[in-house]
Amino acid sequence: MTDHAQYTPSPASGAQVRKDGEKWTLVLVRELRHSPEKVWQALTDPAHLREWAPFEADGNLGTVGATAKLTTVGAPTPQVSETTVTRADAPNVLEYNWGAQDIRWQLEAFGGGTRLTLWHNIDRRFISMGAAGWHICFDVLDHFLSGTPIGRIVGREAMKFGWPRLNSEYAKQFGIEAPNRPSQAAQES
Amino acid sequence: MKIKMTGVYVDDQEKALRFYTEVLGFAKKADFSQGPFRWLTVASPEEPSGTELQLALNNNPAAKAYQQAIFQQGQPAAMFYTDDVKGDYERIKARGAVFTMPPTDVTGSTIAMLNDTCGNLIQLTQLVRYSR
Repeated sequence: MTDHAQYTPSPASGAQVRKDGEKWTLVLVRELRHSPEKVWQALTDPAHLREWAPFEADGNLGTVGATAKLTTVGAPTPQVSETTVTRADAPNVLEYNWGAQDIRWQLEAFGGGTRLTLWHNIDRRFISMGAAGWHICFDVLDHFLSGTPIGRIVGREAMKFGWPRLNSEYAKQFGIEAPNRPSQAAQES
Repeated sequence: MKIKMTGVYVDDQEKALRFYTEVLGFAKKADFSQGPFRWLTVASPEEPSGTELQLALNNNPAAKAYQQAIFQQGQPAAMFYTDDVKGDYERIKARGAVFTMPPTDVTGSTIAMLNDTCGNLIQLTQLVRYSR
């Protein structure tokens, strides 16, 4: 059993970038040993999101038309944005916005578990950062679903848990230069 | 405790970065992203470890309302100090910036005001040095 302090992320894998000119979309795939229904709840229920997601939601995201405030956890200044769920086909497809970005989840039954795919249209300059952040979130989600929660790891805390390495690995995989990391920026100041 | 950071709201961070670096002459300092949020700051090349200016996206109604209200009242969103306000006025104007007030003598200083194209007025201030 892993606890929070012992957690080490796995190597970067399961990520692609779909390039449409200047518009890039991060596509992440993770296979989970849990049913789509269980994964769906982890994606939509605020109490479950709190265990792993990079934001807090003040309402359930499982119904089309639902609105909620999403608060980015650990941002340098408090960041709250309103979201609207634009698609919610339980337990298969979920779409909503996070600020000006679009989030799309697809859950496919797969060998008794779920193949989870995320599409997230992050700005190309920060796409490896996003991949690294979601990677750690997915690891934490996996622990949570398995009944051995290790607690959310986002923001500055992710820096201690291999986020810089993942950021570099994903940048290399995507064929881009790793952008200025917050830790580097902090050291320069 | 030190004052190391201040900020302005901008309607477009990329446009703001270009204006604050290429037109005003500041240097990018920090640039990273968390979710939809981008933390972007510039600093003066004359003082790289000095106070940073955050270029924050005005993506909430309170920020937009505040920004528009002070702009309409002619109030600057930020004020930068210079030792040569006339020289900076000519330099920045030559790079295409629009000044709403040319260098003007006021109590204790000479000031100029320009439009940063991102929703703000910016004041340049040169203090008058009184000889004793």
